[in-house]
Amino acid sequence: MYKLIVMVVFFLSYLNAESEYELGSGVQVGSLPLFVGGYLSLDYKMGEDSDTYRLNDIAFLAYGTNSKFSYLGEFEYKNFYTQTYAADKITTHQDRRLYAERLYLEYNHDENYKFKIGKYNSPVGFWNLLPINVLRQTTSNPITSDILFPTFTTGVGISRTSFREYELKVEFMLQNNEDLDDEYNSYEIDEHYGINILYEKDDFSLKLNGGYFHRIETASSDKSLYYFLLSMKYEKEKYQLMGEVGEQFSKERVTTPYAGYIQGLYRLSEEHIASLRVESYDDSVANIKESVGIVAYTYRPLYPIALKSEYQFHSIESKNQFIFSFSVLF
Amino acid sequence: MKWETKICINLLAFSVVSFGGEYAVITNKQMKSLTRAEIKAIFLKKMIFVEDVKVVPINLQARNRLRNKFEKELLHMSFTRLKKYWTKEHYLGHRAPLSMKSQASIKAFVTKVDGAVGYIDATNIDKTIKVIYRWRD
Repeated sequence: MYKLIVMVVFFLSYLNAESEYELGSGVQVGSLPLFVGGYLSLDYKMGEDSDTYRLNDIAFLAYGTNSKFSYLGEFEYKNFYTQTYAADKITTHQDRRLYAERLYLEYNHDENYKFKIGKYNSPVGFWNLLPINVLRQTTSNPITSDILFPTFTTGVGISRTSFREYELKVEFMLQNNEDLDDEYNSYEIDEHYGINILYEKDDFSLKLNGGYFHRIETASSDKSLYYFLLSMKYEKEKYQLMGEVGEQFSKERVTTPYAGYIQGLYRLSEEHIASLRVESYDDSVANIKESVGIVAYTYRPLYPIALKSEYQFHSIESKNQFIFSFSVLF
Repeated sequence: MKWETKICINLLAFSVVSFGGEYAVITNKQMKSLTRAEIKAIFLKKMIFVEDVKVVPINLQARNRLRNKFEKELLHMSFTRLKKYWTKEHYLGHRAPLSMKSQASIKAFVTKVDGAVGYIDATNIDKTIKVIYRWRD
C-alpha cells in the first residue's frame, strides 16, 4: 500500500510542478514543507565471461523543513531488473521490493549542534555521502566504501560544527539496534559507534573517521570489528583530487590491512569530464589482494543527467570490465 | 620609471578606486556581526541558526551581475559550481536559498524579517539595515 502512496504523491507533485522547475531540484507539494524528487540508473557491464544489463536504481525522495526540524525519506527499488548473458545462457533477475534506503528526522538545536535519528548514510569518508550513480564520478564504487565500514547507520547522530575561517565538524554515529532495512547495508549489524572529524577550508577538506561495529549474520569469527579511514578532497573549478585510505581489524587480527584509492578528475568542459582512479586493497578475510586502475569519461548534457563509461584494469585479469551507465536525478 | 608613467599609473589606480563598485552584505538590525566564513556557511545552508534565530539567506536571481560578484567574492564559487552543489544538496534534502528580483525587495525583506541576510550595492545602504561585510570590485 505504501508503494502506491509514494508513487501517487510523487507523480501528482510533478504534474503540478511550477513552470520554473529545474531538473535535479525536485518539486514542492503544494505549499507544504514537502519536496519530492528521485533518481534512476541503468547500466551495462561487459566482463571477460558475461554481459549484464541492469535497471538498477529507481528511487523516490521526500524531504522538508519545519522550524528546527527537518526530515528525509528515500525509498528505492534496487536491481529492479537484471539480465545476464553468460556461456550462451540468459538469466534474468527481478527485485520488486521497495527498500527504505534513508529515513530520518533531524533537529537543528542552534548554530552549532544538530541531532539526527533514523537511518542515514554513515558520514564516513566523502564517497559514502553521495553514493548514487548520477552524483558520483564513476559508475563503480571504490572498494574502500564497501569493505571497511557499514555504509548505513540506524540510530542517533550528534554533530557540532564551528565556523571560523575554516569549518570544523565533529560528529558521532550511535547505533544499538538492528538496521531499519539491512538489505543493502554493506554489513548486517546491530551496533555501530563511530566518530567523524571534518576540517574544511576553502577548496580543501580533510576527514578522519574511526569506529566499531558488530555483525550479526556472518560465518566469519570476526563479529566485532574496528575501522579507521583518512580522506582528503581538493576541488577547483577545473579539477578535483580525492583520496581515501583505511584499515579494518578485530581484536584477534587485521581483517583489512589497507584499502584505499586516489582519484583525479578533470573537467574538459561543463559537459565533458575525464577521470582516473587507482585503487588497492588487501582483504585478509576473503584472501584477496588486488589493485585496480579505472579510466572513465562522463558526459553531462545537464548536470543531473550523466552518461558514463569506464574501463577497469584489474591486477586479477579475469575481472577486467567495461561499464556504461545512464543516470538522472529529478 | 619616468614621471609621466608614474602619473598615468596613479590616475589609473585612482579611477579604479573611485569608479569600481562597492557592495555590502546586509542583515536585520538585530543580527550579530558575522564573519566571512559564517556568511558563506549561511548561503550554502550549512549554518541554519544564528543565536537561536533561523537565518534566511536571500539571493538575487540567477545570472544577476551582483549575485555573480557576491558568489565569487564570498563563496569563491562560480555559477556552474554552485548549480552542482545544489543538485547534490537536493539529494541530501537541502534547498537553495530563495531569490528575489531586485535589491529593493531584498532590502525590504531584510528590514522586516529577523535572520534575513542579503546583499546590495553600497549606494542603497541606509539606517534601516545593518552592514556586516563590504567589498569592492
